[in-house]
Amino acid sequence: MRLHAVLGLAACLAPVSAIFEDDAYHIDFHYALLGLPKHDTTFFQKPYGGSKASLLYSVSENQTIGAINPKDGALVWRQHPVLEPRGKGHLRAADEQDTVVSAVGNRVTAWSSSDGRLVWETIVDGAVVEDLEILEQEDGITKDEAKDAIVLVSGTSHGVKRLDGKTGRVKWTYEDTSSDTPFQVSTSPTTIYYISLHSSMIGAGSKLKVTSLSPITGKKLDQYTLSSDTEITSRDHIVFAGANTAAPILAWTDKTNKVLKVNIIGTKAVASFYTPGEDPIEKVVLHAPGHVNSQAHFLVEYQTPFGHSAEVYHVDLKKNTVSRAYTLPELQVRGTFATSTTDANVYFVRVTEDEVSVVSSASHGILGRWPTTRSPALAGGYPVHAVSEVVVKSGAATAARSAVLFSNGQWALIRNGEIAWTRPEFLSQVSSAVWAGLPEVEALAAELEVERHQNVVSAYIHRVKRHVQDLEHFPAWAQSLPQRLLGSVVGKPKQTTVDDIQQDTFGFHKLVIVATEKGRLAALDVGSRGKVLWNMHLTQFADTIFEYPTLKAHSGYVEVKDPSFDGSFFINSTTGGLASSVNLQMHGPLVAEGQKLVSFTLTNGVLTGSLENQPNIESVWTFEPPSGERIVGYASRPLKDPVASIGKVLGDRRVLYKYLNPNLVLVTAVSESTRTASVYLLDSASGQLLHATSHSDVDTSRPIPSTISENWFSYSLTIDSTASPESRGYQLIVSDLYESPLPDDRGPLGASSNSSTVKPSSAQGDAAKPYVLSQSYQIAAEISHMAVTQTRQGITSRELIITIPSTNSLVGIPRQVIDPRRPIGRDPTPNEQAEGLTRYTPLLPLDSKWHLTHKYEVLGIKDVITSESGIESTSLVFAYGHDIFGTRVAPSFAFDILGKGFNKIQMLLTVAALFVGVLFVAPLVRRKQINTLWTIP
Amino acid sequence: MRTFLPMLASLASVSSAARFLLQIPITHVVNPSALSSTTHATLQSSGPPLDAYLTRSNTFNFNNVSAGSYLATVHCRDYAFEPLRIDVSIEEPVEGSGDKKEVIRAWQTFLGNEWDNKGESRGEGGNGLVIEARPVGQKQFYQERAGFSPLSFLKNPMILMAVFSGLLMFGMPKLMENMDPEMKAEMEEMQKNGVLGSGTTNTAQQIQNFDLASWMAGKTTDSGANSRGASPAPEKQASKKR
Repeated sequence: MRLHAVLGLAACLAPVSAIFEDDAYHIDFHYALLGLPKHDTTFFQKPYGGSKASLLYSVSENQTIGAINPKDGALVWRQHPVLEPRGKGHLRAADEQDTVVSAVGNRVTAWSSSDGRLVWETIVDGAVVEDLEILEQEDGITKDEAKDAIVLVSGTSHGVKRLDGKTGRVKWTYEDTSSDTPFQVSTSPTTIYYISLHSSMIGAGSKLKVTSLSPITGKKLDQYTLSSDTEITSRDHIVFAGANTAAPILAWTDKTNKVLKVNIIGTKAVASFYTPGEDPIEKVVLHAPGHVNSQAHFLVEYQTPFGHSAEVYHVDLKKNTVSRAYTLPELQVRGTFATSTTDANVYFVRVTEDEVSVVSSASHGILGRWPTTRSPALAGGYPVHAVSEVVVKSGAATAARSAVLFSNGQWALIRNGEIAWTRPEFLSQVSSAVWAGLPEVEALAAELEVERHQNVVSAYIHRVKRHVQDLEHFPAWAQSLPQRLLGSVVGKPKQTTVDDIQQDTFGFHKLVIVATEKGRLAALDVGSRGKVLWNMHLTQFADTIFEYPTLKAHSGYVEVKDPSFDGSFFINSTTGGLASSVNLQMHGPLVAEGQKLVSFTLTNGVLTGSLENQPNIESVWTFEPPSGERIVGYASRPLKDPVASIGKVLGDRRVLYKYLNPNLVLVTAVSESTRTASVYLLDSASGQLLHATSHSDVDTSRPIPSTISENWFSYSLTIDSTASPESRGYQLIVSDLYESPLPDDRGPLGASSNSSTVKPSSAQGDAAKPYVLSQSYQIAAEISHMAVTQTRQGITSRELIITIPSTNSLVGIPRQVIDPRRPIGRDPTPNEQAEGLTRYTPLLPLDSKWHLTHKYEVLGIKDVITSESGIESTSLVFAYGHDIFGTRVAPSFAFDILGKGFNKIQMLLTVAALFVGVLFVAPLVRRKQINTLWTIP
Repeated sequence: MRTFLPMLASLASVSSAARFLLQIPITHVVNPSALSSTTHATLQSSGPPLDAYLTRSNTFNFNNVSAGSYLATVHCRDYAFEPLRIDVSIEEPVEGSGDKKEVIRAWQTFLGNEWDNKGESRGEGGNGLVIEARPVGQKQFYQERAGFSPLSFLKNPMILMAVFSGLLMFGMPKLMENMDPEMKAEMEEMQKNGVLGSGTTNTAQQIQNFDLASWMAGKTTDSGANSRGASPAPEKQASKKR
């Protein structure tokens, strides 16, 4: 009953500017990313026995488990376990099963292969899963039921566990009491092998210890040690420890990659091979088929700085020997290999920048070869690793598809040489993003800057010259005009994503420059559904390992800073090249004569304001919260935050004057011991405390997002339940700042013609502090981040954009809904109704029409940035973190642009019909008028 | 209840691990098998909430839940679910027997209300309790675009007024003609007296032919007479009426 009341209330709340159904998926875009896929955990697999098509499964570097449709690259499902990033992610699937089993951190989870639902989950307490295998066969017989998983855990105690394939219960555990480092498990049809690294007392090397276990009881059957301590000094030297092959193998190399040693697990013999070529080998990769029934052949790939080559080896199961079968010639391009099996046959796929070729494991004859088409998305990248599926009919490969990770962070599927799709997976680790203008706009801005610095005459000549130069575009423009006119009248309303950025009349095409944690920089066009315009790695400019690059936008270029090096360098935002220092004009904030710039930083829990560009770094002011409190965050007003009106007009035409101070900083602090959260409003020029408030019973371990804009700020809290509070859940607090509580009163500033924010209290007494009105609402979900929309002039009402991680969505709350002047405990008076105020309710239902992300599920958003567009009604929104999302919002509806609902043909037809009507009626009317004049009354 | 909760908190230190599951029933609102795999449920009390994924059997399994009072929420992209209050406590089923067991109680709860303000009970029992998490409704993300239709065009008050006045203009003379002569005479009499219609037309004329200059000059003659002399409009009006 009450719920209905709530829903009813939600329905009648303020006008809702929801997304139109025909705008959704056109004005917004979303990259549903997995993250960079890892080689050993990426595979093609049928989602259930008897399925015709297979899906592409992967665990990425940021431990997201997901399935991709290989046809179009669309995400089928994904799961992102929220836990601290420790341990590696593992993913295994067995044939004819409808589950995939993942191991991330301390969780071993089985997911339904086709839709990603949970099947079972087992948590290994206090340990990390080191390796995971699926027991394909037991005593040489393939089971039809759910296949069991074997996990290797390390932590306080190492051991191997067998988990039931249906429920995840532990069937047996083998405890390893030695101090060896667990490395991997491997299974053969009859035995489970547990491989650990045994560090010897003398020397840095470690020996490989192989323990064979009974799959049924988990008892130790045998144990032996391989003397590998001269070669293996770190885990990286172990190339391969064979998965579920008929003959699991162990392979390692020495430090210089000169010798390859191979051991068939279960035997003590070690075969040595010299690696080919004169060039130093950078990397050795071993590719072996992962199926029990396939032939025991494997391929060793050698990567040199200049190219790559490979050798194919055969394992003789009867004699337990390894022999080199044939060599694939070295190519002077970067490339990689992948394996594919059909029945018992094994095929190797070689993927290079410009070709895909298939060979059989038995002989070196090329079965199929496809030249790869060029794609701008893959320009400058080379294949890093690949997984493949091959169809072979009567001795020739008829089709091959390979999912290839390229070095520029794109994951692509190459089907018979054609690039079927690319996914920009490098965008899953964005650390910083800024808005940048378009090339044309930036060029014009530079020209205008030139004119501004010249005298009137030369500026005028420059201007005329510029216009004459612009005339060269006129013929092309005139030619395209009829087509454009026709297109705008009869064109399908779908064609809103203009590829040609030149036609950006509304300013929706803005670039976002993003930097990833690994030092990759890319530009995305938000107006063209996030098209990647350029993508490059910062290591070509700075030889360092990037940790967490941050960006700062200037006009025409971005400034890149990173903790790994001092100083910063500048990148041209339109081309991605290094901006030449000649063109750099340092546009610091404009400081008038006699003024000084105060900047502030948070260091060691103290907020310090100091004079910018001063030789002696002397703090002007410091702010330290009361003892026991710890600053968790601060928010300041955006640099560009235009305000259209200095007052708020009430229903009776009186005015409440807004407290507008460009230097407002909102500091949030928590105290763990008293479970309180405090907010402090500071003036960053003087360091004065303008307002402070505190909340008790706050869960201080949860995030407290906050934002400040215009004359209001908001923050959100989680209520702590340990002291049995009145209510549970999450709170959103909104506060308005006014100059005076009385309408038509400017408080102490009213009389003075000149006021200073630096000394607000000494000038006119303490009264120059703002009058703060606050209201808090209970909301149904936790907020992780807050942002406010921005428009060109600030006339459009604002929207508070909150990020809700639990439903992976972004919600835009209209500002008038969370107005702190909503009347409490009574219905609004007619005057208040005229202002659009509704009665206060403690619960703020998050209307689903406010969801900017509608059906998109935007995972792991860290930050949301907003920008003005070319028109006043619309603000551009860009969210980044794990996923990338961009849209545009019109909080007061799109009042200055025609929507898609406007039918131009209908309008033209109406005008034509009216014209025809006038033609017919005009003679009639004229005759009647003449008759009237001549008629005697 | 308030005295009961601290007791729960003190009991939380006693090692206890309740286990229960939330189940989405098959209703006319939603077929739970069609829900996306990103649907999950959380138990929030203090610190990071406990999280459970949707399983194949349309349930959310919570294991190792320590004693306390929790807010259970089902997060789904397409559907809204009612929030639940779930209390886990350790009690003696028989007074003085000494063996303690986990007891789980679930109620409907109302956000924005006091926590003690519980709704309908949604189940009570020991470990393995199945609690129904009911969907409330589908989330509607999109706004309908007001398309053009001739009917909506006709519903416009301006159009309605125009149609009505047009009917009056063209229909009234016809009606008058078909009337009996006596009635007609009566009507004309009434019109002359200014009961029906004529009064309003006069004021309209007055406004139309308002002589601002003479009014400013303080002239106070009968405006009707004034306008009659000034323009041929009254003749036109009169003839139209006929």
